[in-house]
Amino acid sequence: MLGRGLKRKLSDYEENVAGLSSAFDSSRNLPYPLKRQLVLNMCLTKLQTYKMLVEPNLHRSVLIANTVRQIQEEMRQESSQPINVCTGITPSSHSYTGMESSGISLQLPSGISQQESNCCDLRSVEDPIENSLLIVSDDDMSSAISSILKDLDFVEDISPPTCLVPTGDDQPKFPENTGLKLEDDRQDLKGAECVFGSFEISNSTSYLKDLAIDDIFEDIDTSMYDSDFCCPPLMPPRPPPVATEEPLKTFPSCNSSSASNIQICRTDLSELDHIMEILVGS
Amino acid sequence: LLGAGGGNDIQWCFSQVKGAVDDDVAEDKLLSELQYRKLKTGMRTAAKSGLSLSENKTQSHSRGEYNVYSTFQSHEPEFDYLKSLEIEEKINKIRWLPQKNAAQFLLSTNDKTIKLWKISERDKRPEGYNLKEEDGRYRDPTTVTTLRVPVFRPMDLMVEASPRRIFANAHTYHINSISINSDYETYLSADDLRINLWHLEITDRSFNIVDIKPANMEELTEVITAAEFHPNSCNTFVYSSSKGTIRLCDMRASALCDRHSKLFEEPEDPSNRSFFSEIISSISDVKFSHSGRYMMTRDYLSVKIWDLNMENRPVETYQVHEYLRSKLCSLYENDCIFDKFECCWNGSDIVMTGSYNNFFRMFDRNTKRDITLEASRENNKPRTVLKPRKVCASGKRKKDEISVDSLDFNKKILHTAWHPKENIIAVATTNNLYIFQDKMN
Repeated sequence: MLGRGLKRKLSDYEENVAGLSSAFDSSRNLPYPLKRQLVLNMCLTKLQTYKMLVEPNLHRSVLIANTVRQIQEEMRQESSQPINVCTGITPSSHSYTGMESSGISLQLPSGISQQESNCCDLRSVEDPIENSLLIVSDDDMSSAISSILKDLDFVEDISPPTCLVPTGDDQPKFPENTGLKLEDDRQDLKGAECVFGSFEISNSTSYLKDLAIDDIFEDIDTSMYDSDFCCPPLMPPRPPPVATEEPLKTFPSCNSSSASNIQICRTDLSELDHIMEILVGS
Repeated sequence: LLGAGGGNDIQWCFSQVKGAVDDDVAEDKLLSELQYRKLKTGMRTAAKSGLSLSENKTQSHSRGEYNVYSTFQSHEPEFDYLKSLEIEEKINKIRWLPQKNAAQFLLSTNDKTIKLWKISERDKRPEGYNLKEEDGRYRDPTTVTTLRVPVFRPMDLMVEASPRRIFANAHTYHINSISINSDYETYLSADDLRINLWHLEITDRSFNIVDIKPANMEELTEVITAAEFHPNSCNTFVYSSSKGTIRLCDMRASALCDRHSKLFEEPEDPSNRSFFSEIISSISDVKFSHSGRYMMTRDYLSVKIWDLNMENRPVETYQVHEYLRSKLCSLYENDCIFDKFECCWNGSDIVMTGSYNNFFRMFDRNTKRDITLEASRENNKPRTVLKPRKVCASGKRKKDEISVDSLDFNKKILHTAWHPKENIIAVATTNNLYIFQDKMN
């Protein structure tokens, strides 16, 4: 995406891709396998970029992954029909225009069988377009998709805290058909998500949230500082303008994350500094 | 109703524009959502970093001026320490609640947290206390020699927005929709994989009613893109997916609505098949008509009207910008193909949606006519009638037409809203809000 006011310096590769996509759109003569390869490369590049993001967009990742899978499937089907490939019979809607006449040299993905490359009578033409395409193998594609989706799972899924499981036993996941059976007085059940509490990272986060802050630091010896200093009361940040007539029911200490509520007293800090100086000095 | 002129056709003319003149505006001022209030004349917009309410203060039906009524910060950016990432304060959706008393309530949501805001007005204040000065200082009781009764005097309108409820920590993935139920007690929130049902009074619990997360994330092929409650049946809601399907669910059937009651899906047109078919079929918005009989979906190139009684295809399809079909690869490359356009109804007759180059489109279901208009500062004299625009897809470009290659894909209109009663529309460009109304008004 173009940033506002940012000058984006295109690398050579990106310049080629930009030129290629408009070539894809405008040119009818681009052979189908080339178009497909171009799209595939764009997809994989995007997936790689998303992988580097801290929080990739799940919606986009899924759409792109599906496109890659679709192309993969197409290529697999082609490679399993060696006789047909050369005569230009391709998946349904696209005509295989350029194959016979223009004789473009294709660098074939390793997933496609050797027969295909023997079959096609290729003149090796130095074509800058193909040379600039990244060639990716079938395995690479699958692993790219898998790793991205797996990453999304590990990073993202922290289930909501404090779910109350009615009977206290671990309930197995209900099959889709039956759903969860709720009894009238079991209004506390928070849906299927709770059941996995023990399996996911969520367990530790809800554990953290349940503890009072003091408990976490129980074993740290603060006896030196306790009596002399009083901390200012912890004031959670409030958005302006607020004129609440009644106190908020649940103020988000979990909203802004417990850690942010811990404020170190200024007096504590200066005292610590002083002690550090002494220690370092000696 | 729609047309270039004559008879009962609406002629849209410019009314107001709000926002920066300069196109290069800071990210946090970007408009991310807008919606009209249901029953009253107010309208609000949400910007990336805050929430701005606009109110029409004129009583009569004559040409109303919208002025900024209130601006407040709805969400703050937060830092998720566990994942080491920042949760943006950008507001994804806002929804008004129907008004019960003098105050107004609305729900706003960012990626993770939903907030209920109370907007209250104060236009009077008490004056004439016996024991307090006007500035609030207490008087010396010995100086009080007479008693008087404090009275209410008008004051400059003060609008206060206070957060009433905060519904947090129920969504792992990014929230894309909120929808208030017709019972006015519950609402749903949807993220990429799950939909939760909340009660407006209860913030520490929500019910998960849809969960499409597969046991193994590698098997994930579809995500939820939008969800909405039926306007009349409080047990019915729909959700759309990235594969172009809409599922209607009945909450009476089971607690976890993983099984749909109806599945709306149109078979693919084989002649239009391309590498990008699935991406452009992803539904970006779903809206029920006011009657609840129809629903409208928006995918990348079209708007479809579905009759709830017919699942196998839409009853009507309107092409928003078919000329982009031949540009899909470029649009994929620059990510525009992922833009999420919204759509809106005028009752059950006219539908409106946005496009690129600051164009927006309206389709009249009855006359089958459509119109393309532009939101631009060039025509910003009040009461200037908007001229219909036309895009030249191919061939010789006529005068006044614009060719596809000249379209500015950075200028996109994602959000539009139609006033519930009047012929007044609000259209949000990247950082401006335009209001247009019927010349007759």
